[in-house]
Amino acid sequence: MNVLSDRRHRARAILALLACTFCGAALAALPLNLPPISDPASTEHHPGKMIWADLVTPNLAAAETFYSGLFGWTFQDIHTVDSDYAIVLVDGRPIAGVLQKAIPAGDRRQPTWLTFIAVLDVDAARRIALSQGAKSVYEPRTYPKRGRQAVLSDPQGAVFAMLASTSGDPPDYLAAPGEWIWSSVFARDPNQDSGFYKAVFGYDVFDLPSDDGAQHVILSSDDYARAGINTLPPGHRLPHWLNFIRVVNAGESSAKAVALGGRMLVEPFVDRHGGKIAVIADPMGAPIGLMEWSDTDSKVEPK
Amino acid sequence: MSIKFAHWKVSVIGLAALGIVAGCLVGPGGYDGTVGVGYVGGYYAPGGYDYGGWGHGYRVAPPRGRAPAGHGGRAAPSIPSHPRGH
Repeated sequence: MNVLSDRRHRARAILALLACTFCGAALAALPLNLPPISDPASTEHHPGKMIWADLVTPNLAAAETFYSGLFGWTFQDIHTVDSDYAIVLVDGRPIAGVLQKAIPAGDRRQPTWLTFIAVLDVDAARRIALSQGAKSVYEPRTYPKRGRQAVLSDPQGAVFAMLASTSGDPPDYLAAPGEWIWSSVFARDPNQDSGFYKAVFGYDVFDLPSDDGAQHVILSSDDYARAGINTLPPGHRLPHWLNFIRVVNAGESSAKAVALGGRMLVEPFVDRHGGKIAVIADPMGAPIGLMEWSDTDSKVEPK
Repeated sequence: MSIKFAHWKVSVIGLAALGIVAGCLVGPGGYDGTVGVGYVGGYYAPGGYDYGGWGHGYRVAPPRGRAPAGHGGRAAPSIPSHPRGH
């Protein structure tokens, strides 16, 4: 009798193990359900436009607390067996993602926002980029609702992503407060870098007059400025992208960022558009730009 | 009885092993047409780059309206000016 009971227990244990194994395999096979870039979907495409950004951070909860306090962002958490990811929402519209990922011990790296630029065909654009001196950071990958994306570094080392949205690109409009309004590349040689981005994304390239000794270039598509390329300021060693969120008051927002545990990287100053700009870092160290853009701004020449 | 049970146990363990192998095979895909499972990304920048020192007159914003023409002789456009829904 005891032998029979023992066998039944073992059989139940084995059945439980079997069920767990199949459930684990099924869960691992579930694709990460990333939302579409445009909802409702459209056939609108704007190659060269910055349409998404991903933050990688070691502390997702702390990032959510900081950015919700600073910009009023809300978050939709998406957890899978191997990813902790959250979608950033502004008035219910997804604008960015936050991925939690541990920094390997002893690795001197810092969190950053990754810029996603719209393309029609990731594989074709990637081939051009690689032929122009880019390096692959992450190979192309498809997420059913979002689209296909790849991560590369430009010939000078600034890392960016390209994304072919399956739901179309968001229409062109003036960003509302809390949304992405501008992107900048900081490069050792803006001339050379603009040639690269022109080849990959088909940008028109414009030199801006400058009296600061640095070179400033505007990249445009659809007759809209999409990004600027600037000579790396003194003391900056590494080319990189920096994205800006529209704020109502850069002074107040940067002070709030500091109160929430962030750091001031560039104090607010009046830029060429007549509004103020500041750069802050979140509590985990990821830099992000703040930019005022008021319709009532007069074109005040910065001093 | 014990031989019958042992056969059954071996079959179950075999199926479990197949499940584990299947789970591994369905994991993250590679290049060309594969569908993502977990999220690939999470690029950490090299540490040690600092801000500050932008200096007097260093400007990064887009122009408002049409910018004065630069070296190329063409005026750069601005960002979209119409708000959502207009």
